[in-house]
Amino acid sequence: MTIQQSIDTPLLDVRDMTTEFRTEAGTVAAVNGVSFQIGQGERVAVVGESGSGKSAMAMSLLKLLALPGEVTGGQVLLDGRDLAKLSERQLNKVRGRLVGTIFQDPMSSLDPVMRVSEQMIAPIRRHLGMSAAQARAEAVLWLDKVGIPDPEGRIDAYPFEMSGGMRQRVMIAMALSCRPNLVVADEPTTALDVTIQAQIVEVLKTLTAESGAAMLFITHDLGLVARFAHKVAVMYAGRIVEFGPVSEIFRDARHPYSQSLLRTIPSKTALEGGRLPQIPGLPPDMKHAPDGCAFRARCAAAEDRCASERPALTSRGPDHAAACWRPAGLGEAEKQDPGVHQPRRNDQGPGSRVVVEIHNLEKQFVTPSLFSRTPRQLVRAINGVSLRVHQRETLGIVGESGCGKSTLARILLGIDTPTRGEIFIDGTPQMIFQDPFSSFNPKMRVSTIIAEPLIVKDWGDAAARAERVRWLISKVGLGPEYLERYPSELSGGQRQRVAVARALALEPSVVVADEPTSALDVSVRAQIINLLRDLQDELGISFVFISHDLLTVRYMSDRIAVMYLGEVVEYGPADLVFEHPVHPYTRALIDAVPVPDPAVEANRSAVPISGELPSPLDIPAGCAFATRCPMATDRCRTEKPQLRKHSRLREAACHYAD
Amino acid sequence: MIDYSLKKLVQLVITTFGVVTLVFFTLRLIPGDAASAMAGDTLSGDALEALREQMGLNEPLFRQYLDYLSSLARFDLGETITTRIPISELLLKAVPITMTIAVSTIVLTVLIAIPLGTLAAFMAHKGRKTLDNFLTGTAMILDLMPSFWTALVFLLLFSLTLGWFPASGMVSWDDPWALMQRIALPVLVLSVTQVATMARITRTSVLEILSEDYVRTARSMGWSELRVLFRHALKNAALPIVTVIGLSFGNLLNGTVIVEFIFTVPGVGNLLITGINSRDYQMVQTLIVFYALLFVTINFATDLVYRSLDPRVKF
Amino acid sequence: MFQKTLYARPQHRSFRAALAGLMRNPLVTNKKSRLGLIILLPILALAAIAPILPIQAPLETNLFASLEKPSIFHPFGTDKMGRDIFSRTLAGIKVSLIVGLSVAAIALGMGLLLGTLAGFFGGLIDRVVMTVVDIFLAFPSLLLAIGLVAILGTGLIPVILAISLADVPRFIRLQRSLVLSLRTRAFIDAARTVQASQFWMVTRHIVPNTLAPMLVAASIAAANAILIEASLSFLGLGIMPPEPSLGNVIRDGQLYLEHAWWISTLPGVVILLIAVSLHFLSDGVRELLDPRSRK
Repeated sequence: MTIQQSIDTPLLDVRDMTTEFRTEAGTVAAVNGVSFQIGQGERVAVVGESGSGKSAMAMSLLKLLALPGEVTGGQVLLDGRDLAKLSERQLNKVRGRLVGTIFQDPMSSLDPVMRVSEQMIAPIRRHLGMSAAQARAEAVLWLDKVGIPDPEGRIDAYPFEMSGGMRQRVMIAMALSCRPNLVVADEPTTALDVTIQAQIVEVLKTLTAESGAAMLFITHDLGLVARFAHKVAVMYAGRIVEFGPVSEIFRDARHPYSQSLLRTIPSKTALEGGRLPQIPGLPPDMKHAPDGCAFRARCAAAEDRCASERPALTSRGPDHAAACWRPAGLGEAEKQDPGVHQPRRNDQGPGSRVVVEIHNLEKQFVTPSLFSRTPRQLVRAINGVSLRVHQRETLGIVGESGCGKSTLARILLGIDTPTRGEIFIDGTPQMIFQDPFSSFNPKMRVSTIIAEPLIVKDWGDAAARAERVRWLISKVGLGPEYLERYPSELSGGQRQRVAVARALALEPSVVVADEPTSALDVSVRAQIINLLRDLQDELGISFVFISHDLLTVRYMSDRIAVMYLGEVVEYGPADLVFEHPVHPYTRALIDAVPVPDPAVEANRSAVPISGELPSPLDIPAGCAFATRCPMATDRCRTEKPQLRKHSRLREAACHYAD
Repeated sequence: MIDYSLKKLVQLVITTFGVVTLVFFTLRLIPGDAASAMAGDTLSGDALEALREQMGLNEPLFRQYLDYLSSLARFDLGETITTRIPISELLLKAVPITMTIAVSTIVLTVLIAIPLGTLAAFMAHKGRKTLDNFLTGTAMILDLMPSFWTALVFLLLFSLTLGWFPASGMVSWDDPWALMQRIALPVLVLSVTQVATMARITRTSVLEILSEDYVRTARSMGWSELRVLFRHALKNAALPIVTVIGLSFGNLLNGTVIVEFIFTVPGVGNLLITGINSRDYQMVQTLIVFYALLFVTINFATDLVYRSLDPRVKF
Repeated sequence: MFQKTLYARPQHRSFRAALAGLMRNPLVTNKKSRLGLIILLPILALAAIAPILPIQAPLETNLFASLEKPSIFHPFGTDKMGRDIFSRTLAGIKVSLIVGLSVAAIALGMGLLLGTLAGFFGGLIDRVVMTVVDIFLAFPSLLLAIGLVAILGTGLIPVILAISLADVPRFIRLQRSLVLSLRTRAFIDAARTVQASQFWMVTRHIVPNTLAPMLVAASIAAANAILIEASLSFLGLGIMPPEPSLGNVIRDGQLYLEHAWWISTLPGVVILLIAVSLHFLSDGVRELLDPRSRK
């Protein structure tokens, strides 16, 4: 970045840091000359897609990278001292003490065979020179601060005795316990459910503000950035392409990549019936880093110059810099590229024919226990669900993990059988799975994968099938050359396209999509969502769209069912449910989702819903949500509310839904 | 934990029963029958018939089986066919010798293999490939050396050429020093393979753990690599290592047969070879069952140790 | 990448092009499998051309050349009866390889069949198969082989059967665990959503995905079988003299260890080389199939 004439020195000043991964296949500069500053107490977010080098960058600061990753150049000045030049011994006095780190996956980031106390107390004693008793008291204090109930007791628990959310709280307590000046958090909430995520973000925000620690926050979620950060750095292909204050970036981004990224989010503006703007193509392969600007192949405003010369970060105003030859990035012309705001071509809206009807569905799993003294336990995965889907309609199902949404999908497709209840499906259902990396047989070519449903159903002869497979793959926007490939030779987005082609092979009446985009990067996500909507318009299929990503569900769906602990708690038209939620859980869920708009986020009430999901082994007697509901009364705890009509279009399961 | 032990114990009983049954009926599959096989060409007519009668081979098969089970329950293992010595008596003399060799090998192995494997893993983790490659390469070759060949090479080197250890002689409990010298070579030979196996497993486990997220967490709190290695990696690696000690006990038993044969140590393995060569099927049957039960029991024990080391297992 | 080259169809090519193609074969480009091939192929070649080499026949005795040191005429020396150890070793290699390959093939075949049945269908079949497997696994492998040879008798076929019986349970267990983990994969669910038949699932989805790790295990099993055959023959329970096998050649030399060290030691080096090469080969294949295992 440009040299800043600032009187007070920044807390962290990173200058031209480079990190390389030396592999047999060649050297990859994962971080390629990154410079930025963090002031005292400032929260800086780093956003980027997978492979952009954002995590490698965060881990490079304290040299926490595993081989073959290695910091190969640049300076990391913390309070004026260059960490890059320190020996391991000196660095170990900085790690934990001056800089605390929080990692992504709480399930694997704590030593499984050590008590929390052992893991927390030792660093406090070492860095702050406290006695064992003092350190223990300090650790308990921190556990209390991060919101662990009964910290005195829980401190001697093993990590496996805690939920993911609780473990992440422990991780935070540990990172903050030695009173660091800077906290590096690498996607600290990505692995968590949205309501838990909101709690964790709140804890982080409060505690760092309280201790005055600055924070470097790595994320791919622009909503979190808006909620959380003062400044934001956008990374692409190992470089920072834009850096500036949050409000400014969201209002007036100058780099084409940031601009495109912000527009791909299915946010309010995209809800006016248009297609999602999408970034074409894929991020560059870092093994063969391109000359010039790495984004130019996907940039609508690329010029000849972009191919030969790489633009440096240059100032776009106070504290704002972007790395683009064009002062305004895409500019107005390219922002309005054709096809983006085009209304859906054939939007007839849902038909009246009912394609799927689910009536009082229940699914219970029995935990096996052959020699156990504890009796067999009943897991109620689905607890009396009734839903219907009309022709050409998209039903969105949202809910956090454990709410039964995936089990419902499996039952719809006949993979699991229901314990009780009825399902009526007019036509054949098909499925698009969440993980494009495991939903294909790695030993099958794409042609066989798409043709499999046709082959097992004896559809036509070989020539007819080949013809249909070619038609299908063209429908999802891939060339016939992909038919000869194996899944390992496809990118995530391409795999999901193949999954769509396969799902369409047997002309299904309804396609169940279980988190079809959650494993994909933002820019690719928009491509798949647009594809699904186009196909729906053209072929008149119904969708059941299951996701925890509320913004995407809202964009995709006509109607929405909100699930909690195996029950539907609210059901109605998507816009109505989102704009005027009736059930307290729906409201909590919507509140918890960060919106990529700093203005909205600033006005939010800062109290996320408390508590965690009860175990499905032990569902509360009354309303399942009563244990967490801010409005719960005695009636809620004893009497179970039924899903009933709330207004003409809506149903909700709450005693007080009025 | 108790539930689990009970479950495993039931499994152990089923397996034991299966082993006994399998061995009994397999031996009855011998073409002709055990008596004629044992007698070879030496007996005929009445004498052979007498032998059959003595072995109970004229009883119905199922009756023989029940008799066998009931005698096993009474720890009556029968007698050797030629010398008429109770097999249990021979076994009682041989077992301590074999177990001494086995246990010494395990102790020696653990002492050498775990530090070596840890060192290799640490070097590999730090990207220092040369030492790691050397250690893993050596371990692989040692692991694959046929133990009877290693035994001969050691015999040639340490006994015949250098004269450090006696190649033969009495094995007696009265003179511990002489006994130690006498079993030193067998233990060394067995340790070669065992060390190689266990060092390799230790290396793999430790290396895997060193790339775990919680190791990075510990590093992020300012702990040195060595402390992380000892406090986190070794503690977690202990679990897979215990399992391997149990499983490689099978190979160890295989090995004892060979070294006892080569170094003429009067252990269970030598009894077995003698039994086979003198076609004493009663003895072979008893010894094979003994080995299997020993192996199964050891695995049962290591499994319980594993469970007690792992806090994730509920008590 | 591996699969691509495997499926590449050979066109009309010159010898040079064929050689170049061979050099690009993943088994050649991978360091470990290449090392394995470099050790194994010459040994195989020597054993194959042994009959036409200008050396004494394996069973031919020559009392005038008793216990001769290794020399140009007898590269591995001679034994008490003046038989050529090199020639006997080459003949022994043939026995070793027959045993190794047969055992690997039997264990692979039985493992695939029973392991798939147990893992895919579960229920009673699974219980029965796994109980029997557990009983067999209670015996240390060499001891099981010894016991079986005691019953079946000595010779090539009994030895192969005895070693296979010790290996089959391990393969069943491996295949079963592979099948079980595959069964939870989403592509099996995907096949289920179109009501694919069980035959289709097993032959198109399950078995093709277990073959690679099973082949890796089979090449290790071949190495182990060679070691066990040698041990059995050494103990006098395998291939019986005068028919040469690496194990009984070493046994022959045991008596003369002090005065004719070459009889016992040199054939042992050959066993070691074969076992090491097979391990390198399997390591290489494993790396090719799973790039993550490269460490």
